[in-house]
Amino acid sequence: MRYLLPLLLFFALLSPAQGAWTDVFHKEFFHPEKPRVEKEVCLVCHDSDLIKPQYRAIPAEWRKSWHYRNDVSCQNCHGGDPNDAAKAMLPASGFVGTPKPKDVPKFCGKCHLGIMQNYLESGHGKALMATGKGPNCVTCHGAHDIKKANIDLINEKLCSTCHTYERAKVMKASLMLTEEKINQLDAGLKTLRAGLISTGDEEKDLFRTQAEYRTLFHTVDVTLVKDKTEEFNQRLAAIQVGVQKGFQELRFRQNFAVFIMLLFLGLALTLFFLSRKSE
Amino acid sequence: MTSRIREWLEVRIGLDELVRSQLTDYRVPRNINLFYTLGMVAFAAFLLQVATGILLLIYYIPDDKDAFESVRLIMNQVPYGWLFREMHVVGSNLMVAVLLLHVSSVFFFGAYKKPRELTWVVGALLLLTTFAFCLSGYLLPWSQLSFWATTIVTTIPTAFPWVGDFAANLIRGGDKVSGVTLNRFFALHVGLLPFLLLGLFAVHVFLVRRIGISAPPLGTEEERPWLTFRHEDHPDGLPFYPYFVSLEAVMIALYFVVMFFIIAFVPALFLPQDSLTPADPLNTPEHIRPEWYFRAPYEMLKLIPNRFLGIALQVVLVAIFILWPFLDLSRKHNLLKRPLLLACFLGTIVVWIGLSIWGSY
Repeated sequence: MRYLLPLLLFFALLSPAQGAWTDVFHKEFFHPEKPRVEKEVCLVCHDSDLIKPQYRAIPAEWRKSWHYRNDVSCQNCHGGDPNDAAKAMLPASGFVGTPKPKDVPKFCGKCHLGIMQNYLESGHGKALMATGKGPNCVTCHGAHDIKKANIDLINEKLCSTCHTYERAKVMKASLMLTEEKINQLDAGLKTLRAGLISTGDEEKDLFRTQAEYRTLFHTVDVTLVKDKTEEFNQRLAAIQVGVQKGFQELRFRQNFAVFIMLLFLGLALTLFFLSRKSE
Repeated sequence: MTSRIREWLEVRIGLDELVRSQLTDYRVPRNINLFYTLGMVAFAAFLLQVATGILLLIYYIPDDKDAFESVRLIMNQVPYGWLFREMHVVGSNLMVAVLLLHVSSVFFFGAYKKPRELTWVVGALLLLTTFAFCLSGYLLPWSQLSFWATTIVTTIPTAFPWVGDFAANLIRGGDKVSGVTLNRFFALHVGLLPFLLLGLFAVHVFLVRRIGISAPPLGTEEERPWLTFRHEDHPDGLPFYPYFVSLEAVMIALYFVVMFFIIAFVPALFLPQDSLTPADPLNTPEHIRPEWYFRAPYEMLKLIPNRFLGIALQVVLVAIFILWPFLDLSRKHNLLKRPLLLACFLGTIVVWIGLSIWGSY
């Protein structure tokens, strides 16, 4: 035993593993994904005093955004070379900088293609293209602190900065029921997942339906939204059937397990009384 | 019919005498308690793991391309496949819990002391084999959780000088966790460990039966020196059958009650979200944590600032655990009369729970 400690120290010095486990675990396993977008050279300047104060808040806003949570980085929107500071902002590297208001739909539409098409056909889009003024994507969604889209983006405060709220209110009312159904289905799928019921197909269908439905908002065409809502409701009803089947399965599993549990509880009690008797 | 079978067996194996000597005339201490049934509960848990494991084997495909899909099929398409998989998953965790309680109670009652040192050593090896079972089985669903948890565990041997990388590569079948690792762990889980565990269990039961069941030392203290072999008899005790067997049956039934309670009300307790997505070697999930029973040693590894010392300390602690009966030379069985050891015992439990909770956040 007395040689144990010196031996351990001897091997500890010889071991190639001089660092702590926590370094290894942190480096390799804890936050391996976030640093991928954090490594971009853009942040080196934008996080420092080198940059003008009005641009310094951008990284902090972005880190709070839905884009950040989904690994959408500076380069994905603004282009440029994210790995080389010298080339980061060269047009040759594809850097596009800050778009003019009229170019914002195309800027965001690189990824949100369906939404861009519906937007450009809308009153909002037409006004922007004709006059260079009018609401574009960032007017409602923000530029860097982009929130997850939801129906509350249609609100009196925001809409009445440009026009009266009346038409938007009608639009929101017709969207509301469908949006509620989507939220209910989403919550139902979460419950099923927690109960280990497979929800893969329904989840994909709901995601697709929700994405397509939300592109419809951007037409700001009340009649079209009302007409199409029925079609979307049918699709949601089909998903609902799958979710209900899932809940039936979940209830069956739970009831079955409770039934067996009660059988064993009865058995335990019977055996307990028998053992007392034999004592 | 029954009496004819009985008579047939009586002529051939002396059934009546066997039942008398091993069950009805065999006496257990009068003050025996429920903790003494935990060994049999653990064995029943193991048998259940074998039975559900065989059913899972019918549909499980031990290949990195098909393993996850086959488990998904078991959970959603195979009739009652969900039940057998849940019983296997919940059962593995409960089996570890029962074994930990069993070890703690044996320690508390001083039942590892002379002449039961070997029984303790074999029991400790049984616990370690069960951990090996859990580790090897964890990878088999080939989910994100199982892949990355195994990646962490198989990194640990690299801390040993000279042989570390070789050992890690031998376990993984390469420098990374891959389909080869899955095949190796599957072979271990299904082809080697069950037989090893059964063999150790046979030796453990032989020793328990050969030496006799120890009486709980609370209130009475064994002072008689143990100089020659003798079977510990309890002539004034209660019959093994029906008294003790029915107590064991009660505890086994309660084990099933707990298992089905978890399956009914918290089915995802041991299957978090990362265990429901297929393994992706290019995408590390955040906050990978080992199972609850490995969280304390994992947290301890992280606290020690040198990797080799961290793992070496754990090896030393395991060695102390296995060889404890040879290190504790006191003849006192009653832990309540040994305040220092009692404080160490309770301290270890508190530290273990503390580290486990810490490791959960």
